[in-house]
Amino acid sequence: MPLPFIFSTGIEEGLSKQASFSGGSEIDHLSDYALYVRGISKTFSNGVVANNDVTFGIIKGEVHALLGENGAGKTTLMKILSGCLKPDRGEIYVNGVKTRISDPRKAVQLGIGMVHQHFTLIPTFTVAENIALVSSSSRKLELKAVEDKVRHVSKSLNFEINPNTRIEELPVGARQKVEILRLLCQDVSILILDEPTSVLTPLEVEDFFRIIRQLKNDGKSVIIITHKVKEALSISDRITIMRGGKTILTIPSSQTNASELASYVVEGFIPNLKRVPTARGEPTLSVKGLFIKGDRGEMAVKGLDLSVHSGEIVGLAGVTGNGQKELVEALTGLRKVEGGSISLKTCDLANKPPNFVINSGISYIPEDRMRRGVILGMTISENLALKRIDKEPYSKKMLIDKEALDKSAKELISIFGIKASDPCATAGSLSGGNIQKLIVARELTNAPNIVIAEQPTAGLDVKASEAVHQKLLDLKSKGAAILLISADLDEIMKLSDRVLIVFGGKIVGEFSSDSLDMEKLSKLMLGSE
Amino acid sequence: MIEMALVVGLLAITLRTASPLLLASLGETIAERGGILNLGIEGAMLIGAFSGFLGAYFTGSLVVGFITAIIGGILTVLLFGILVIKVNLDQVVSGLAINLLATGLSLYFFRIAFSQGNFPYLGQLIDPMPIPGLSGIPIIGDILFNQTIFVYIGLLSVPLIYWILFKTSFGLRLRSIGEDPFVASYLGINVERTRFISLIVEGIFVGMAGGLLTISMFNTFDTRIVAARGFVAVSIVILGRWNPWGALTGSLLFGFTQALSLWIGTFLVGPAAPSISQLLSLLPYVVTLLALVVGGRKVRGPASLGSPFAKE
Amino acid sequence: MQLKISKSTYRSILKSLISVALALVVTSVLFILTGANPVLAYYYMFVGAFGNFSLTVETLVRMTPILLVSLGLAVSFKCKVWNIGAEGQLYMGAMVGTIAAVSLGNTPVTLLISIALCILAGMAWAGIPALMKTHLGINEVITTFLMNYVAIYFVQWLIAFPFRSPDTLFPESAQLPAAAILPIMVPSTRLHLGVLIAIFLAIPLVYLLMMRSTFGYKLKAVGENPEAARYGGINIKRTMLMALVISGALAGLAGFFEVSGIQFRMRGSLSPGYGYTGIVVALLGQSNPIGVAISSIFIAAIYNGAFEVSRVLNQPQGIVDFIQGVLIIFVLSSESIMRFLEKKGVIKL
Repeated sequence: MPLPFIFSTGIEEGLSKQASFSGGSEIDHLSDYALYVRGISKTFSNGVVANNDVTFGIIKGEVHALLGENGAGKTTLMKILSGCLKPDRGEIYVNGVKTRISDPRKAVQLGIGMVHQHFTLIPTFTVAENIALVSSSSRKLELKAVEDKVRHVSKSLNFEINPNTRIEELPVGARQKVEILRLLCQDVSILILDEPTSVLTPLEVEDFFRIIRQLKNDGKSVIIITHKVKEALSISDRITIMRGGKTILTIPSSQTNASELASYVVEGFIPNLKRVPTARGEPTLSVKGLFIKGDRGEMAVKGLDLSVHSGEIVGLAGVTGNGQKELVEALTGLRKVEGGSISLKTCDLANKPPNFVINSGISYIPEDRMRRGVILGMTISENLALKRIDKEPYSKKMLIDKEALDKSAKELISIFGIKASDPCATAGSLSGGNIQKLIVARELTNAPNIVIAEQPTAGLDVKASEAVHQKLLDLKSKGAAILLISADLDEIMKLSDRVLIVFGGKIVGEFSSDSLDMEKLSKLMLGSE
Repeated sequence: MIEMALVVGLLAITLRTASPLLLASLGETIAERGGILNLGIEGAMLIGAFSGFLGAYFTGSLVVGFITAIIGGILTVLLFGILVIKVNLDQVVSGLAINLLATGLSLYFFRIAFSQGNFPYLGQLIDPMPIPGLSGIPIIGDILFNQTIFVYIGLLSVPLIYWILFKTSFGLRLRSIGEDPFVASYLGINVERTRFISLIVEGIFVGMAGGLLTISMFNTFDTRIVAARGFVAVSIVILGRWNPWGALTGSLLFGFTQALSLWIGTFLVGPAAPSISQLLSLLPYVVTLLALVVGGRKVRGPASLGSPFAKE
Repeated sequence: MQLKISKSTYRSILKSLISVALALVVTSVLFILTGANPVLAYYYMFVGAFGNFSLTVETLVRMTPILLVSLGLAVSFKCKVWNIGAEGQLYMGAMVGTIAAVSLGNTPVTLLISIALCILAGMAWAGIPALMKTHLGINEVITTFLMNYVAIYFVQWLIAFPFRSPDTLFPESAQLPAAAILPIMVPSTRLHLGVLIAIFLAIPLVYLLMMRSTFGYKLKAVGENPEAARYGGINIKRTMLMALVISGALAGLAGFFEVSGIQFRMRGSLSPGYGYTGIVVALLGQSNPIGVAISSIFIAAIYNGAFEVSRVLNQPQGIVDFIQGVLIIFVLSSESIMRFLEKKGVIKL
């Protein structure tokens, strides 16, 4: 059923399908739903309308995918259902009974539990302690009983977990299982999983889907939030699409296909990246035999080699926690190197302070933009000058030239389309997407030799992501070397000329963009090859 | 035998001088395990000392003094709690504010209660309470079982607080807040209430620690009476790795240095004696600073210690 | 220099005014409880501080150490380094300056060398906890406070034994040589050169440093978000160290000015807690040099006015400490109070 990328057609089609599905006498249907919401609206204090008159239902024992782009309102809706957020308006029915979900605890009592993208586990506690935190009702801590329960429940799902392991010692995939385990220990019947596969490799996803099917067989309802169309099709019984804070349509997975879904997800937006063919130049960044320690003193990077040439984008793929963070911090001077070399052309960069690295022309778009990329309490123009405050024209003889600061800020605001009232407003007054634009503006001007882009589009909507991608491609065509680190394989494949796979602190494989073998890549990411 | 008696005396004094530090550091351990860094402990001890003194002085009853000291401690720590938990202010600065407020309040009301040039003192102090049967044991009896009520309470509280922190659900919840209050709150733990409970317990201990200064150690009040013991207690918590047994070890160590400097002072003879014995008063502070240099570097405490927590 | 009052500046001023007003209201309650008329009390406080020319000069003299200490603390607080050791830094500066002056005797350079050394002493005394913070990660609040005790006991020992005055009965140092005394600028008052240095040199210099220089930018960046500052290439250890050392320098200078402008001898009672008062003033002035300057006059006026209040109305001493204690609580809460008032529509900006 090929559909044109036209707004009106999609909407009408969608509405008619939804109407046919939830039509008829509603009361009869309500009791079929494990959970049903109607007219949910939520506007945040910064004026963003996240949910606008949303209607959504999940049937007992189904796997339901909530599909939509970043910023479509999926997570907000689910946070309302799991009691983390309060809706401004709307009704919630659990098993046909109208109810209010005041907090996450209440949601769990009603049988609704959510696994967030940011896990809610205490890293220094053991698996059993993390579960006892929510399930232990007695005064005295009965850890033994909890441990037994953990063993029992994990056995029923066919995975091994030692209840006495501390969370910080577990890989990301296992932490996710602990989250699910904890919900099951609380007898939750509806599980909401927010982008559960984003932390997993394609092979791990298989195992994860197996668990989801197992849960379904046990009579649980599962809601999976995702922005990946294929994933929604392969795991769910039904799919609901959200866009711009509204549910557009709900449809059985068997009655649709990928291109139809894609047309609903993104409203009339055709990806249009302009690529200028660029010749690969000399190696700009070369790393040899690098050893770096992680936060807990373990060796996180163990003899890593890589090189990035001018005029190319190198994608670094890998499961989070395989030394990417440490590598990036070492490259930018934020972390000590234990051994090996980092060189920019002929200049040695290992164990040089951040200031030195910045002055050698290395730009860095950090993953944790709020904590690392921006100073919310300072003005936009001050933030834009962060890395160059000691240089002319921003300052002369240690005195700041405020006019130069504001002038350059005004230029960057218009070039990068930052929505800001005034360069003297604080960065904290900007929205998340505009903060990322501010960081990108600062990092991509002044012709950097190397750009290290760490999850540069995480949390951005399609258009904003596209703009960032375009800027990276433009810089590449001007001869910059770009190292792209992303957990999103699609992004890596879309932009990179070469893909390197990192596992256990080493580069374990390399593909050129035209000869990608997904299965092999997957195995390499898991270290099973 | 005389040497033996001297050593026994030294150790007994060690326990006495350690007792305010032990009580205060136990209280602070509980608060910090819940993620609250209370640097207002110095001021809370001062108010404890002041209210204990007033209670004992005006009723003539040391028991009343003991109770008013605890009340003073609780109220001061609760005020701190309101600032950092309810108003969500910076913990460090709020702690400083409490210290300045405590000095101001005690100085002012001391002058209201007693006119200028009047130096009130208590007629009696809380004396050691030998424990029948046990105090007769040679050496150990003199060191351990012939002490004031404060020493007994401090020593017995060590295993008790350890049990609460590590063997009860309350302790698990409190520690989870100390690691990550956002996660704890999400999991349905009442962060505010749990923290307030921990602060009330801290207030009791800190109130006692302050009160013992006026009603058991010295018999008078002065705004300088706490003499940084609160900050030493905070240091002990760090050195003791947020563990009650560590707090005990640390307090005994500092009690010992203090006892030692007093002890050495009594042996000094000759023209330089007063000079050296005055210089020895520096020792506890210098030892604390050195101990922090040796044992306080890059330690991993509760992950959220001192950071703000505001719900949406 | 064009004076433009932005919305945020206006808001800051309002915040400080609200704090002051609330502190005075609470203190009024205390006056009423102790049988004094609060209006009268504040009247006498004002009269005691600014009633005539010589009283006003005395208030300026009182302001000087408070101003110097709090300007330094403003620098340190701006990057969220909580130096509460200004009292100790002040004593060490005063002591070292005194020893230098007494040892040098009457030479043309005595005053200059003593001033240089008192600044160095304050810097060194602040440098120890600064290094402990930057290199060992030890909380500066604990170390600077403990070092106050070390400093004060050490100074008391110095003036009781090795540097005791040969000609008096009290534990105090010998009198400073004439060449080390700060000249009096207005005859028959105590308005010494130090007052003018504090007002006409220290304020503009700190203003330039904090509001116009790249160092001031770095201070703010480190204070607001140290992680982002480090990422931005700012050496946060050096910035914090410098901030603490600068505050130590000004505290040391404040100490020696008290000796060479007022007391002429080093005494154990040199400071009635200027190091702690500086904390209140720096916070009340919101780490802005101009705000700090105005706040120091205010607190100095309370110091001096309180004498008059206790003399005339028979109020107990200690009112100064009480007001400071209450004030700091309101200063901290002022942001929340402001938001509450804005929400209720009492204040509109």
